[in-house]
Amino acid sequence: MADTAPDAQPAARPATPVPPAIPARTFAPVGHPVVVAVAAWLIPGLGHVYLRRWQRGLAFFLLVVVSLWVGCQLQGELYRVAPNQPLSLLGTLGAMGMGIPYWLLRYGLGYSGDIVAAGHEYGTAFLLTAGLMNWLLVLDAWDISRGKKE
Amino acid sequence: MLSHFFLMVLYAFVVSAFFALLWRRGRREQAKLFLQLFLGMVGGGLLVAYLMYPFPQGPPAPIP
Repeated sequence: MADTAPDAQPAARPATPVPPAIPARTFAPVGHPVVVAVAAWLIPGLGHVYLRRWQRGLAFFLLVVVSLWVGCQLQGELYRVAPNQPLSLLGTLGAMGMGIPYWLLRYGLGYSGDIVAAGHEYGTAFLLTAGLMNWLLVLDAWDISRGKKE
Repeated sequence: MLSHFFLMVLYAFVVSAFFALLWRRGRREQAKLFLQLFLGMVGGGLLVAYLMYPFPQGPPAPIP
């Protein structure tokens, strides 16, 4: 049996000091975020070049293009929406992140990959990675443009 | 070009360089993160490969 009465209230805890809020670091906004994001999506690295991050823009461009080129050399699949395959929508959205190169490959060059090629699976990973990397570049350029990142 | 190990190393290099440039600003911090990611991916891949080594391969997958 408990020693205390059932209606006894627990002792109030001493108030803990609240640390002062750390203000989030902000930087000067650059350019228009929508324009920067669209530029970053259309051509990998262009958003960073627009924001005068020349070296990073060029490096990002090279990394995405190398991933794209290797994926094509290995005959990886360039995702497109397939009927009765809902997950292909996710793959398509990911691959479309590479911007103009996606449309150029799909419609300009008629590229679709070769499923019986020895490196097909690896190539698909490289192609999808190129698109996903560029989506991240779009978000990064958006944050820089809004002054949330350096 | 079709060596599994070479493609794994190339993939790890591209992804590691990308995230090192994306997430870090200073050259020293970028190099440190690049090495962590690169060695983690390559070492992790080799570790998983050795862990799977005792398992039988089974018949080859049919070509659709």
